[in-house]
Amino acid sequence: MAKLDAVDVVVVGAGLGGSALCARLSERAPHLRIVCLERGDWVDRSAMPAYRRDWQSAALGAWATSPNVRLSAGGSRSADYPIDDSASPIKPLLWNGVGGSTINWAAHVPRLHPSDFRTKTLDGVGDDWPFSYFDLEPYYDLNDTAMGIAGLAGDPAYPPKRSPRMPPVAIGRMGEAAARGFNAMGWHWWPADAAINTVDRGDRHACNNGGPCLMGCPIQAKASADIVYWPVALRNGVELRTHCVAQHVIVKGGRAIGLAYRDGNGATHEQPAAFTVVACNGIGTARLLLASNIGRGADGALGRHLMFHPIAYARGMFTEELDGPRGPVGACVYSHEFYEHRPGRPFTRGLQLQVTRENAPLHQAARLEPAWGEDAHTRLREEFRHSLPVMVVAEDLPDARNRVALAEGVAADGLPNIRVEYTLSENSRRILDFGLDRAEDMLHAAGAYRVARVPLAPLTGWHLLGTARMGDDPATSVTDGRGRCHAVANLIVADGSLFPTAGAVNPGATIAALALKIGDDLAREVGR
Amino acid sequence: MTSAFLRAIVDTLLPGDHRTPPLPSGTAAGVATELEHLVAGLDGALHNVVLHAVATAAGGQEAFVRADALGRIASVRTVEAEMPGPFRALVAVVLQDYYEADVVLLAMGWRAEPPQPQGHAVQPFDEALLGPVRRRGRMWR
Repeated sequence: MAKLDAVDVVVVGAGLGGSALCARLSERAPHLRIVCLERGDWVDRSAMPAYRRDWQSAALGAWATSPNVRLSAGGSRSADYPIDDSASPIKPLLWNGVGGSTINWAAHVPRLHPSDFRTKTLDGVGDDWPFSYFDLEPYYDLNDTAMGIAGLAGDPAYPPKRSPRMPPVAIGRMGEAAARGFNAMGWHWWPADAAINTVDRGDRHACNNGGPCLMGCPIQAKASADIVYWPVALRNGVELRTHCVAQHVIVKGGRAIGLAYRDGNGATHEQPAAFTVVACNGIGTARLLLASNIGRGADGALGRHLMFHPIAYARGMFTEELDGPRGPVGACVYSHEFYEHRPGRPFTRGLQLQVTRENAPLHQAARLEPAWGEDAHTRLREEFRHSLPVMVVAEDLPDARNRVALAEGVAADGLPNIRVEYTLSENSRRILDFGLDRAEDMLHAAGAYRVARVPLAPLTGWHLLGTARMGDDPATSVTDGRGRCHAVANLIVADGSLFPTAGAVNPGATIAALALKIGDDLAREVGR
Repeated sequence: MTSAFLRAIVDTLLPGDHRTPPLPSGTAAGVATELEHLVAGLDGALHNVVLHAVATAAGGQEAFVRADALGRIASVRTVEAEMPGPFRALVAVVLQDYYEADVVLLAMGWRAEPPQPQGHAVQPFDEALLGPVRRRGRMWR
């Protein structure tokens, strides 16, 4: 194994956490030599399917959100490894490459609520974060400014947000129908905060409501880490090495002294570094650290407390024509009427009701029952451009039994195989059932003549949280509030793995804010 | 696998309808031709298993072709129950070809062109709808 020149910081993973940290750290401490290793490559926007007539089937193959589906299809741009998800009703979704899962995210970027940082104190469940919403707020603002946020000020569900906003993404007929329903019920709703341009901004265009955001945005209206943070980091001198798969963190005398990695030609290298940062998402980070024998004891928190956001759907059918798949898929309107904990409800904590755009014809046809014959045609005719989906997004509480763990055998990338073990909790089930009832109430109030339910949607495991959780107690957490591993102080985590609790909203804004904060913390330590 | 048998299978799965505008049958949308290519190639093995099972359930390929609509549906349902996974994979393949055909997309009231570069028009946001929400007090803790 060739030993390379030492650097100050080596970062694993060029996704949202790694890129935000690289950009911030290189800005605040420009004298540092920073290297980032990324297992995948830059995405080629000209290859994104939105310009092609087979764009619908691409979403079921090489551009699927599931790495396992992409591996089965072959030929994906994402540098995937298999994830054994047979013991989880929710299937992990992600992207492996520069930009990470922001390549195929919906760019719906809500913040956590202040109460999400204090669930133990306020509601007696979960754990408090080591800092407050207001400690993280400046970093939310920084991320907003970097990405560019379309949204509307004044949401009573949140403290006032100081960062400027572009006009909100058009909510369209579906958003207006939902607004009618929410208003009829007397419930809260608000247009989504979206990291999507609604006006031209720099060299990125305004969104033209093309729709299939989950297959990448070829016009760059949707923010993603590769086009927001990497240009800054590269300009500041960060070195990004693609096609490099970290094999293990090298630890000696209780300190990380660097990384062993395999490059695109199969050669192995040792990259010495004063600090090692791991930002490979809630599965990849645990996989690498477990493979490095860090915190691998049977009772260790590493890999445990995996949280998703369990999701159910209520889909209302309307006689009026709606938008169908027009517009950014995940950025329409949401309701936080049932977000905050209220005693007397049949569950602890809360949920978000999120109105989304609809599926393309093929995707809508593929999920229908029956899937073939005259009845299938009739059902699709009824639903296409006449249905309004409402996602019930549950707050999943941390449970040590839900985890990612090493599995038998070694994958093609040289790392141990990985499996996900996850059981939907009784509390999450009650949240989803309550939320489905409320969504159905709203849809009928909006004019739906029929509502169909999906009690738990399997292909919704976008949010991989909690597997290297922050906390003060090494027995129940992996890192401190600065992302430093209790077991190895100069080993830092900077992604969604850190979340002690999950809230009930998309975590992207919080992952970026955390990584920016950790970048600042590290810059302060090493001096500017 | 005869062309007549494959066309009969495709049109059983995708019969089309007679509304306005009408949805074409799978064969009229070109799906049977695509399926012929697929089952003749290396990726067709799994689908061939399903197709052979349908033929067997019907008493042979010709018998399936000669059967009326209800008879064909009964044979297909038998195989769907016997091997749901492989059957669903076959259905997925024909649905992909069908719902990417221009004539089908247009019949669904959609458009044949992909999302880009022209995008879509979405009506602007009427902020007055938010009046009741704006009048609410602070909700966060």
